[in-house]
Amino acid sequence: MSPVLPRIFLASLKRRRLASALSLLAIALGVALGLAVQLIHDAALGEFGRGIRQLAGGADLQVIGPRTGFDEQLYFQLAQRAEVATASPVVEVDARMPGREGTLRILGIDVFRLAGIQPELMPSAEGNDTFATLRPEAVFLSAAARREFPGSAELMLQSGTALQRLRIAGDVPGAAGQMLGVMDIAAAQERFGMLGRLTRIDLRLADGSNRAQAMRALQPLLPAGVVLRPADAAAGEAGVLSRAYRVNLTMLAAIALLTGGFLVFSSQLLSVVRRRREFAFLMALGMTRRSLMRGLLAEGAVLGLIGGTAGVALAYGLAALAFRFVGADLGAGYFSGLRPALAFSPLASAAYLLLGVLAGVAGTWVPAAASLRIPVARGLHAGEGASEALVARARPTAAAGFLLAAFLLCQLPPWQSVPAGGYLAIACLLVTAVLLVPVATHRLTTLLQPRRSPVLRLATARLAAAPGQAMVASAGVVASVALAVAMAIMVSSFRSSVDHWLDAVLPADLYVRASLGSGSGFLTPADVARIAAVPGVASADAVRADSVRLDAQRPAVTLIARAVHGGWGLPLVAGSLTYEGNGQPAWISEAVADLHRLTVGQPLELPLAGEPQRFVVAGIWRDYARQNGSVVIDRQHYIQLTGDERINDLALRLAATAAPGRVAADIRQHFDADTLEIAVPAEIRRITLAIFDRTFFITYLMEAVAVLIGLFGVATTFAALSTSRRGEFGMLRHLGMARADIARLLAMEGAWTAGVGVLTGILAGLAVAWVLIEVINRQSFHWSMDFHLPYLPVAAFGSGLVVLAAAVAVLAGRRAMSQAAVRAVREDW
Amino acid sequence: MRRLVGMLLGVAVLMHVGATKAAGLEGEGAPYPEVHPGRSFSFPADLGAHPAFRTEWWYATGWLEDESGQTRGFQVTFFRVRSRIGEGSASRFAPSQLIIAHAALADAGLGRLLHAERSARAQPPLAGAEEGRTHAWIGDWRFSFEDGRYRATAHDPAFSLDLELHPEGPPLLNGEAGYSRKAPAPQHASYYYSRPQLEVAGELTLAGKRRAVKGHAWLDHEWSSEVMPADAAGWDWVGLNLLDGGAVMAFQMRDHAGRPLWTAATVREAGGETHRLPPQAVSFLPGRRWLSPRTGAEYPVEWSISLQLPGGHRTLDLRPLMDDQELDGRRSTGAVYWEGAVAVTRQDGTTLGQGYLEMTGYANRPRL
Amino acid sequence: MLEISRLSKRRPGDTERSLFSGLELRIAAGECVAVVGESGSGKSTLLNCLAGLEPVDGGELRLGGTTLTGLDDDAYARVRRERFGFVFQAFHILPHLTLAQNVALPLWLLQRPAAQAEREALAMLERVGLRDRADDWPAGLSGGEQQRVAIARALVHNPQLVLADEPTGNLDPARADDVLDLLLARIRDSGAAGILVTHSHRAAARCDRILRLSESGLLPADEG
Repeated sequence: MSPVLPRIFLASLKRRRLASALSLLAIALGVALGLAVQLIHDAALGEFGRGIRQLAGGADLQVIGPRTGFDEQLYFQLAQRAEVATASPVVEVDARMPGREGTLRILGIDVFRLAGIQPELMPSAEGNDTFATLRPEAVFLSAAARREFPGSAELMLQSGTALQRLRIAGDVPGAAGQMLGVMDIAAAQERFGMLGRLTRIDLRLADGSNRAQAMRALQPLLPAGVVLRPADAAAGEAGVLSRAYRVNLTMLAAIALLTGGFLVFSSQLLSVVRRRREFAFLMALGMTRRSLMRGLLAEGAVLGLIGGTAGVALAYGLAALAFRFVGADLGAGYFSGLRPALAFSPLASAAYLLLGVLAGVAGTWVPAAASLRIPVARGLHAGEGASEALVARARPTAAAGFLLAAFLLCQLPPWQSVPAGGYLAIACLLVTAVLLVPVATHRLTTLLQPRRSPVLRLATARLAAAPGQAMVASAGVVASVALAVAMAIMVSSFRSSVDHWLDAVLPADLYVRASLGSGSGFLTPADVARIAAVPGVASADAVRADSVRLDAQRPAVTLIARAVHGGWGLPLVAGSLTYEGNGQPAWISEAVADLHRLTVGQPLELPLAGEPQRFVVAGIWRDYARQNGSVVIDRQHYIQLTGDERINDLALRLAATAAPGRVAADIRQHFDADTLEIAVPAEIRRITLAIFDRTFFITYLMEAVAVLIGLFGVATTFAALSTSRRGEFGMLRHLGMARADIARLLAMEGAWTAGVGVLTGILAGLAVAWVLIEVINRQSFHWSMDFHLPYLPVAAFGSGLVVLAAAVAVLAGRRAMSQAAVRAVREDW
Repeated sequence: MRRLVGMLLGVAVLMHVGATKAAGLEGEGAPYPEVHPGRSFSFPADLGAHPAFRTEWWYATGWLEDESGQTRGFQVTFFRVRSRIGEGSASRFAPSQLIIAHAALADAGLGRLLHAERSARAQPPLAGAEEGRTHAWIGDWRFSFEDGRYRATAHDPAFSLDLELHPEGPPLLNGEAGYSRKAPAPQHASYYYSRPQLEVAGELTLAGKRRAVKGHAWLDHEWSSEVMPADAAGWDWVGLNLLDGGAVMAFQMRDHAGRPLWTAATVREAGGETHRLPPQAVSFLPGRRWLSPRTGAEYPVEWSISLQLPGGHRTLDLRPLMDDQELDGRRSTGAVYWEGAVAVTRQDGTTLGQGYLEMTGYANRPRL
Repeated sequence: MLEISRLSKRRPGDTERSLFSGLELRIAAGECVAVVGESGSGKSTLLNCLAGLEPVDGGELRLGGTTLTGLDDDAYARVRRERFGFVFQAFHILPHLTLAQNVALPLWLLQRPAAQAEREALAMLERVGLRDRADDWPAGLSGGEQQRVAIARALVHNPQLVLADEPTGNLDPARADDVLDLLLARIRDSGAAGILVTHSHRAAARCDRILRLSESGLLPADEG
């Protein structure tokens, strides 16, 4: 076997360079995309988990409350409990940096309490000031945060609308990859309006204290809305949050890899058919079918191995580029504030390499097995059955079965919050589409029976009679087009829904905010009065944002206290804005409704200011901004319950004659520079949509790759066919077809093949889009959207692909038009 | 002066004499009060904390004997430090007063010291140092005076001490009526009294095994704002309970060449007569040296202390319980020093008494 | 019908030596000439030159009174479409067309109306004895049957010249005789000129004349 393998099998790969190269490239791209996505998210999640562990350190339990914190008295209670060995109090603030985008996470810590519990957060002071870590103006920045402020010795942060000047006194060596600053807890409380409040307490339990028992014993001490949970529970939150997004990208990568497998399949299929006589001859010489099969599979494995290796290398390059230019979350905003480092992951690399080899072997298996079933004597006979293996039967029953399976899978609930049923349904839909390609080809050719043009007639006759070949070339196109179209529809539906949603949630003329909902900036009623007094301001409506924990297992939900009446509406999907029953109304977002199984009219308990408060669900609204869910309540009622009069956002209606720019400038004059963000709705809309597009940028890229690989399929098929059909083309030249006619014939066949693929793909894409929108999005992100089909782009994309396929077919068939083809009539096939 | 073990992990909290500091970092509170001669002590009020001063400690050392007759040295200390930070703060977490506790056990069977520490910002009810009575604590570590006796509690996985210490008489004021000078310049001084010949009874838990112990101990309570002069390299201190009921406290401050900058001693005779010796009446003669394999520092672990008493000359020969009683704080506070149990012997080897010896500045200059 | 005068062609890649030169040949309508020669003597090249698929280095070709030499590619392609018929050793029946469609292929290329093309193709199939299998796919055909389809395809559009390159090379002798008889009969029926390139003396013997191709030109074979 040893000399046979390289000379007969591997040498064959070298002979058909184009097909081999494209197969390699396809596998490499599939492996690279999949592994890159994996590496990036592993690094990001790893860093995120490390962050959580650093924050939790050696903690066994964690007490966590709303963003605005809870009464610090709880700390003194817990610290004295026998179950508790060490309690470490934390005041966590997302501090707004005036004049900069985003916030910096500031952790106010008790340095004396870190030792046993969060050593990684231990600040390290520069110089020899023994009290450096206790000084109220000192902040210690992690390496990642420090990079944001190169060369500066000071840091300006915002609390309310006031500026806080902090001195950068050192670093946090244990938290190099996290974007954070550490300072003394007393100073953090004072400077960020958190006096008497803590946001978290980490607990290490005494030796011999059992975690479950301790949780039971400590639970009664907690005020409403403060939860006690294992310290590692938080690590899962971001994982769950970003999982849907990660699974999405991994699926796209898998499709790319699958298309790569198709490509191997198509090129191997043709190569095997062409070499059938060679194999028959080898078998006549005494080679067993088994060793022939092994040799062929080795060909596929070598393709997979080389492509996989290149893909692994490419993946690291891609991941490094992504870290550099897009960020660890691939632009989706899940891991802001992380600076993960790319690490070599032997396990993932090996797994994806193996996937590459599998794609190569699997792509070879079917054609090899089919080919070797043919009796030796027939195989030896000239010209026998060159196209026979290409004739695939149409399987409408199987297709219907897969379609039914897809429908049933869509009815399944999510599995561990991953819409597994939806993804499987998509796979079923793709199989259905591929199985329907022969049927579609047949239908289309009989439907469009051309009478006049002999070239067209030849092309359609060929495709109608050999749908198996069309199937091979089309399968890749179908899969990639279906996904690309589905993603396009989904993204466009999402985008247009967001667009309409923005109309509904941004009714005002001007928006003033001191920082994001989670940030440290806020406005006081006095600030609001000053703003309302600015000439041109007709009315001002205040919004307060906090977080509430509805249960210990799920991330906190955003609480929005604002007016719902008087034109400050909500994009409702159920219920109404006017509530007339008894009790206080609350309007919940779709995510809250889904995750907590709530419907209109049901009671809802919200922990406010440490006390449970009763509300009634008056409506369900669409909220694209907060994936964990949000609850809107009336602000006057919120103030009555909590006494909290701070304000995050102010929506201003202006007098008809007032110019927004002028009013904004006037408002700014009343405050320190850069402490306020003032925006007109158009600006907010622009930024929101820009963020939206950035989030989906990587998706577009991966789609492009999938489509590219689909085109490779067309190219390899036609390249291989043009070799095997040289005799045919030579005959046609003899019969009086000009060289240009042959090119036209090839273009026509390419266009036709791709056209069937594209049409089937678009139809499948519509179905897949429906699954994406109604099942996958709904189950992973818990928000609905309106179906929106981008006709023009899809039509342009489809016809572009057909034209491209025609060009690719002509290009690949160049040899068929050469002079040598004329002589090929004499070659004995 | 004594024993300064800034035992905070990561933050060496204690003051740093003579170090240059950036302007504006000195803290915002009122200045530290100076130590002057002529202060009149009032007990029990002066048993408690004096939070205006920079540093204060309650420092108990002694010898314990368990039921099997095995002897060990122990040390329990509570430090209070005023940082002058956050004194006007409304936060309960303001770090204006810090409490640091340290405990060590010298066990000849182990051949080295066991030690543990705690530190916290003073923040009742979790940690603090009360005024008016001896009560300093961090969590379940505690040093207090109630019902006529001191109570020292320190719990650590490696060992626990739970001791009662009975004083046999009134506090013994050191120096000039409690004004203890540390150097030729008068501002380098502290307020300082001792409680020698404390009768100890209690429990020691070692390697999970609880045992009843009894013995004798020495307590120092000292507070000051500025102790160590810039030209000092370290000091040697002893507190000795003699078997005849007498007690001796002696120290010397050394310069960088190892010469004494200042020495002093308080000697209480068995009959109760007390002598406070000036520098020229006290001399420390180093004897056998021990090289630490850990830090490379060389300590004179045996000493002859020569005292010029009104009744004549007396020499006290010190022999350690074991050679290795070094504390290596390079990974935490940075301080490396030797502090351990010593016996006072006659020339013929018979025991005259027991006590504690502290030697600093042999590896690096201690931060006081 | 076909007049070849002073036709010459150099060996490819060799400017000095000729495959043939000064070649002269006249074939009357309904006459069928066999061309024999050693392997590599240029028989196939001669056919390609006649078909306009390879350029000649000199001489003139006339078919039915029209000069073919000097025509450009497209013009020659039109001539092949209208006036040439080909039969190949490897048949080259397209597997994705039915027998009738395969035969109708030249008519499609001539843009004949579909109905007429079908009618004529069926008539032609009738003449080669395969009328009843007109709608079959070629996959099940024997070699002889395939070549009969090829003959039908070569003659369906009434060409003036039929070029056959080893038409019996892939057939067993009994079959070969049948097929050759059919081919010659059909060429004679149609009044076309025929050139048959073959190694087989048995085949050549059935033609009207036998010529041997060599560097010095086409000379009557000394045996036959």
